Amino acid sequence: MTRSPLTNPYLLVMPGFLLAAFIILWPLYQLGQISLSDVNRFGQLRGFAGFENFAAVFADPDFIGSLGRTAIWTFGIVIGTILVSLPVALVLNENFYGRGIARVIIMLPWAVSLTMTAIVWRWALSGESGMLNSALRGLGVIDANIQWLAQAATAFPVQIMIGILVSVPFTVTIFLGGLSSIPDDLYEAAKLEGANGWDIFRRITLPLVRPFINIAVVMNTIYVFNSFPIIWVTTQGGPANSTDILVTYLYKLGFRLGQLGEASALSIMMFVLLLGFTILYVRLAMRSTRS
Amino acid sequence: MSRISRKWRRTIFSWLVLSPLIVLVLFPFAVMFITAIKPATEVLRPTWWPSEVRLQNFVTMWEATGFGQALWNSVYVAVLSTAIALVVSIPAAYAMSRYRFAGRGFLQQFLLVSQMLSPIVLVIGLFRLVVWLGLIDNINSIVFVYAAFNIAFSVWMLQSYFSTIPKDLEEAAWIEGASPWKALVKVFLPLAVPAMVVTSIFAFINAWNEFVIALTMLRSQATYTLPIQIFSLVAGRYTVEWHHVMAAAFVATIPIAIVFAWLQRYLVRGLALGAVK
Repeated sequence: MTRSPLTNPYLLVMPGFLLAAFIILWPLYQLGQISLSDVNRFGQLRGFAGFENFAAVFADPDFIGSLGRTAIWTFGIVIGTILVSLPVALVLNENFYGRGIARVIIMLPWAVSLTMTAIVWRWALSGESGMLNSALRGLGVIDANIQWLAQAATAFPVQIMIGILVSVPFTVTIFLGGLSSIPDDLYEAAKLEGANGWDIFRRITLPLVRPFINIAVVMNTIYVFNSFPIIWVTTQGGPANSTDILVTYLYKLGFRLGQLGEASALSIMMFVLLLGFTILYVRLAMRSTRS
Repeated sequence: MSRISRKWRRTIFSWLVLSPLIVLVLFPFAVMFITAIKPATEVLRPTWWPSEVRLQNFVTMWEATGFGQALWNSVYVAVLSTAIALVVSIPAAYAMSRYRFAGRGFLQQFLLVSQMLSPIVLVIGLFRLVVWLGLIDNINSIVFVYAAFNIAFSVWMLQSYFSTIPKDLEEAAWIEGASPWKALVKVFLPLAVPAMVVTSIFAFINAWNEFVIALTMLRSQATYTLPIQIFSLVAGRYTVEWHHVMAAAFVATIPIAIVFAWLQRYLVRGLALGAVK
């Protein structure tokens, strides 16, 4: 038999992996190099600088602020998303009239690009003519228009709310997958034993769905931590950097302020953090596969 | 009888529980559509309903927002980057699903990690890469970047589906004297077509919706993709023609949203299979 290139896995795998590795490793190498160098705003390296760039990042009060807000942003959205998604998934797992339509509606935000969602919200939240204000005034909830995006105290919570809204579809889908893997006879046995709904949820549903909750938490953490368009489109981190999170701060540092050294140092730190999240995810995914 | 009424009771309860979320989900769509059909003079007036329906907005939007050029750019980028990603991912996924070889585990971990990596963390390095290649403000730069970033996802999805196609079928063809190439084309590929279609649609949507890379690499209107073009009509302007912006957002969004809503269960199935295999 003649040897066909089809039987050589390395040959088949090569082009894809070279391209994928190149697009990650080359920029990563660049970032590492810049982060350890003295660099001007045009990107010219002017010698080794040790960890000066890293120190400069930590000395920047805007970084500390963004770091804190990233924690609030990530935990707020991830926890909010789980709390909303769990009951929604439980309901969607039951058989009721119009379930198909309900599922499609709940999935809709996933289908629209974050940029477009954020542009529509930016308009809906506009102070003078935004339709959120007119809806709330029409319902008698507020008397005067609220300038939603003009101050961080209202802008940031609203941004978190949008973040939750767009994360729910993915999370609900993961939970539905988990719920459908629970055999029906388990519920029937529990009912025969006289267990009530809350008992069943606490003793059967929750433990069996827990691995899926873990995966949803880790994956959402990664997505939300990286999420750029919602904040960039609605406020660009403003007013006065008061809604910046790490990704928007990084973008400003690199492309507005031209602080390439600091921006690269920050990228490297965020990369390491993400790598940590990913390893956690791989561990969790493997554990749930084994059990 | 009592069974039916129980289902009705459950239906009312379910919709009641879901209603707050459904209102929040539909709200931006309502805002988008209602603004898009308002006459220009009423857009800034804080009323919900337009005095008349202006479907011409969708026509005037085309010129006013430079929609045609941006649409073409988006289609060009999404189609080409998807094609490149698929051409290199299909053989890789085939090898990963059919052969056990040294380094396979490592490759799988590499795929998983690179799937988790968002381009935003690498954006400064990517920008230097594109400068080095001389492709700044060239639409092919993002074709290249999107294709590369879609490989991990595509291999992952394809591999998980390919693994569900029994190997016996190809082996049977080999025994009957077919060459590996012929077995691949005649037996394997026809069965793999659905997986390829689904994967390419998701790669397409990823490219269609991407924001940060396009924002960074594209510098002039002639090269803007739809998200960047529409964003540029909003950001840093004193007067925004919201009815045009919303009409453009509507047209750019709805076709993709329909396809996605229809296909999302395949995405989940593929990701779930991939996690298990």
